[in-house]
Order: sequence, then C-alpha cells, then structure tokens
Amino acid sequence: MNNQEHETDVLVIGGGIAGTFAAIKAREAGAAEVVQVDKASVGRSGCSAFAAGVIQAFSPDEDDREDCFREAVIKSHFLCDQEKLEDHLDDSADRIKEMDSLGVEFVKTAQGKLQRQVGRGKFTSIMFHGGYQMMEAMRRAASRTGVKLVDRVMIVDLLTDGGRIAGAIGFNTDSGEVHEFMAKSVVLAAGRTWLKTRRPGHRNLSGDGIAAAYRAGLTLTGFDSGGVNTGPAMYDIGPGNNMYMGSGATLVNADGERFVEKYDPVLKERTELHTLSAACAIEAKRGKTPLYLDMTHIEPEKVRLMRRVIPSPMMMWERAGVLAGDRFTRKIEWVTEGPSVRGGLLVNRRYETTLPGLFACGDAMPSSGTWGQNALAGAMTSGARAGKHAAEYAREVSPPEADAEQISELKRQMLEPLLRKDGIEPDQVLLSLQEAVMPYDVWTLRSEERMSRALKEIESIWRDQVPLLKAYDPHYLRMAVEARNLALVSLLLLKSSLFRQESRETAREDYPYMDNINWLKWVTVKKEGEQISTSAVEVPLHRYKLKPEKGKDLHPIWRVAERQGIIRIEGERVKWA
Amino acid sequence: MGVRKIDVARCTGCSICVEYCPMDVLKMDGKSQKAFIKYLRDCQGCFLCERVCPENAVYCVPVYERRIPLPW
Repeated sequence: MNNQEHETDVLVIGGGIAGTFAAIKAREAGAAEVVQVDKASVGRSGCSAFAAGVIQAFSPDEDDREDCFREAVIKSHFLCDQEKLEDHLDDSADRIKEMDSLGVEFVKTAQGKLQRQVGRGKFTSIMFHGGYQMMEAMRRAASRTGVKLVDRVMIVDLLTDGGRIAGAIGFNTDSGEVHEFMAKSVVLAAGRTWLKTRRPGHRNLSGDGIAAAYRAGLTLTGFDSGGVNTGPAMYDIGPGNNMYMGSGATLVNADGERFVEKYDPVLKERTELHTLSAACAIEAKRGKTPLYLDMTHIEPEKVRLMRRVIPSPMMMWERAGVLAGDRFTRKIEWVTEGPSVRGGLLVNRRYETTLPGLFACGDAMPSSGTWGQNALAGAMTSGARAGKHAAEYAREVSPPEADAEQISELKRQMLEPLLRKDGIEPDQVLLSLQEAVMPYDVWTLRSEERMSRALKEIESIWRDQVPLLKAYDPHYLRMAVEARNLALVSLLLLKSSLFRQESRETAREDYPYMDNINWLKWVTVKKEGEQISTSAVEVPLHRYKLKPEKGKDLHPIWRVAERQGIIRIEGERVKWA
Repeated sequence: MGVRKIDVARCTGCSICVEYCPMDVLKMDGKSQKAFIKYLRDCQGCFLCERVCPENAVYCVPVYERRIPLPW
C-alpha cells in the first residue's frame, strides 16, 4: 500500500462543528498551515451535520447569565467544569453571530432577530435550517479561510515524539492508502460515540478520537456519565426530540398515563435527558410498556416550523406514513436509546490534554466540559478556543521528529485485519456489544450485578472476537476499526460506571443515594500496560463559584419513585414494589 | 439503513451522492459511470444522498437494514 505524508502546523481531526471552528480559528490565529481530516468528509460527518436544528446557546440579551450558569451546574449535579462554563457563556453569542455571518441560515423573526423556541430544559433555543445546511456553510468557511480539507481519511492512531504530540496516522477508506500527518499541534474533535444503535446519522460516531487517545496513554474521564436519550422503537427516524418536546409532544405509557410529569412537574417531557430516560425505564420495569410519543395534537403551525428546522426527520416521518401534511396521524412507539457516550479527554482551561500539543474539544471532551447535554453549543465554543490555543502552541515549537519504528508498528496494527483470511465480521462484534450494553436495566437503571455481567461479556468480546476482526477491503477496514473502538469504549463505559458507587447523573439500584461527601469526583480511565486503570479526581470545587451542600440524599428519581409507591429503600438498596 | 434505490435512468453520474455519503455506502460504477449502492448494510439512514441529488434519482426509506436490539 502507498504512503502519503503530510506536514502541517495544526492538524484537526474531525469534521463536525467543533473541528471546523477549531480549524478556522487556528488559521485566524496565524497558523500558516492547518489540515482538517475526516473519515467521511468535513462537514458531512459526525453528528453536527445531523443535528436537530436547535442550539441551546446562551444569549446575553435574552437570558439571565447567573440563572443559566446555576441551571447548568445543577443539571450536571456539580460535575460541570465551572471555569470552562464561564468561558462558554462569554463566547456563545459571538460564535452564533459568526456562524450567521459565515452563511449559516438561522430561523429569524420578521424583524431579523434570531427566533427562539422552548425545547428541552428551562431556557429557549435558537433554531437553524437543519444540520446539513449549517455544516455546508461551515465547510465553505473553512475552505475560504485556507484550511486544507482531507476527506475519506480515517485517523486510527496518534503519533508522539517523546513527551509531545507529533501527528497522526490513518488510511483512505476508498483506496486504502496510508496517510501520515506530522503536526506541531493536534486538535482532537472526533469524540462522539454512539453504538450504531437507533438514530439515523449517528452510526458513524465510533469514538475514534477518544480510542486513539486512550491507546496513546492519555487520561480520559466522564464515561460513567451515562449519555441517554429516547427515540422511536420501530422507525429508523431521528433526531428531533428537542423540537418534538418543545412543540408539545407527550409521552404516555400502556395505560395512556402521562408519566414523565411525576418526575418533573414543571418541565414535564421537556425535562433533561437523564430524568426522561429514567422515567421511561421505570415504566418498563413496572411492565407499563409499550410507551408512546404522541404528537397528533401538535398544531399545524408548529409542524410547519418543525419542517424548517428538522427537514430530514420530517421527511422520514412522512415516508413512514406517520406525518401527513401538517399533522402527525398516529402515536409512535417509543423506547430508551443509547448508550450515547459522553466521555472524553481531561483538558485544562486552554483545552490542552495531558500530552503537550494535543488539544481536545466538542465531544472529545467529557460532557462536564462546558454545557452539559447540549453538545452543539459546547462544541462551537470549545472548538474555537482549542483551535486558537493549538495555533499559539504551534508557533512556539519546532516541527516534531518522526519515529519510524512507532509509525511502522502502528501501520502494521492498523492494516492487520486486511491480511486475515479467516476472521470475524465487524457486524458480529457490533451486535454482541449492543446486546450486552443496550438493555435499559444495564445502562439506564444500573446495578453492580447487571453491569458486571455486561462487563464480562464485553471482556470476552474484546479477548475472543476483536483480535480476529477481518476486512475484505478499505471500507471493511473502517468498519473493523470502528468495531474495535466501540468495544474499547464499551469497556471504558462499564469500568467507569461500576467505579462510581452512587447515583448521580444515572440512578443505581444498589447505591440509590447521591453522595456529595465521597463522590464529587470525575472518574478517570487510563491505559496501564494492557489493563484499564480506573481512578477518580476531585472536582476542584474550592475554585468554583457554586458549591453543593455536603451530604447524602436519595436520588431525585428514586425519591419520586418511592413517593409513588413504585420502590422502597431497604438496607440502602432499591426494592421494587 | 435506508437508501433503497438509485434510479439509473435519472442518474447522470455527477457523483455528489458518493461524495456526501458519510458511510462510504455509495460508489461509482466504473463501467456505467453511475452511482450504485455498494455497502447497503452500513447505510446510516441519514437521507443525505437523497437530499443532495440534483436529479431526484435517490430514494430512501426509514427502515432498519439490520437487527438492532430493543432496550426491553
């Protein structure tokens, strides 16, 4: 196989909103050469291009900053990095203005102001005409700024030079050609992980960036945070929940009862994702399934707005026969979704990781990084800052030295599945992973017993199947690397989730209390030889503005369930009634 | 999981769908110089190919191409 060698000041890995902002800002900060690489193509890959048309971006004119700050910290159960949250709030409106000037089409009022609408959570969101339109404008902006775009190259591993970053190595998913990038600094913006489960447009999110960082020995965190969502059971349609819930969609159980309002009487179905998913999972545990999302009562005017903001999902609903004109015609069976992994690299306030010259942003950071569950807003601000800092770093250092031995070994490992005549299909590994992790009582309602059982299964997949992954051609090589990365991330998920012995973002049956005495910590993972080393670092609350009450309280989900007579607490454990 | 057909009568071989596909599902056929569905099972159902096709030659459906376990 041929080799292509690239040399650059800044290398940006990932073509979503975080990576594209990073690349543009690195150029603007003076980096002479910026290369942005994506395994599909920049702007048409990752989850940004399939985003659900809304950004929960803070607006100094419309929102109360203190209130927004407090809400974000409380919703993160005090795991949020409050310093980076301040930076995010400082930058948010400027990034939106910039996107507007770069050609992103936002939904505006007749007076030309950004139109806002309620969605998930307490604050309103601004809307744009779908993720694809947004990212097309951003891709054009990156090109105009002089960013060199490299499409169809999947980065597999990071290159290091002693104690600093040196670049990355990958292959072209069409030709199989190996690409070596030598870079003074690297921005990792390919972090989102979705186990190729429900949700169109999200099945290329295989955690490639964070898996590469893990293999390079970096410290990662936040895999316990339990990214969850909900979606249709039988239709391959999504995303759009923010718009559905904001437009008045209701969720009912098999008895026709609206159950989410028990857990959040104020926001109801617009509640944050952990509460929404836990409420659905508890209904499943009670035998109250199937659950349905009902949008049949939504007014035509709101449906027309949904068509502008989430054009693709609306086209899909129409094709499924659920949407006719301006009306949804029937209820939709609804289930919990995920895991949507929210772990990422531990970064400082400059978005620099523990490896000098390597920066991370967007979903390559943990969700505690900035803005909790609204990944898009956090991605645009963290991307811009990471790009600027990466350019500053590149200005100060000399080009890295290539380590021929390291490159040759990583290349050998990368291409190995192509040489295997007999082996295992990526699809087989994927299905085994999904069956282990997807059950609602493994991921959404947790216990040590069930997570340990799932971990055992994943460990056996990792040991017995992953080393035998085979690839017929460069496309299948991509699928094999993705399957391997997803298996690794699944291990990190379960190890981290078992480590956190309390209920915080996600509810545990065996540790039903939120423990602010022992667990105001970020759970970290790191490669130690062939083992995953799990540990925890204190959230530096002494430096932060908002501090929680020290104490141990029954998790809000369990508190409601107990009051409803669904569970009782016995010997500090949940017992189902 | 959703690209169902590329209408060869309408396809002009501009290759935009191939360029946009995030999953490398679509490729150009060397002989006919038209796009074809090469790796259907890996389609992620995003409908992007249908939306970008200038000739309305691509048709997608919101149907799973493979088994995905249910959470309960």
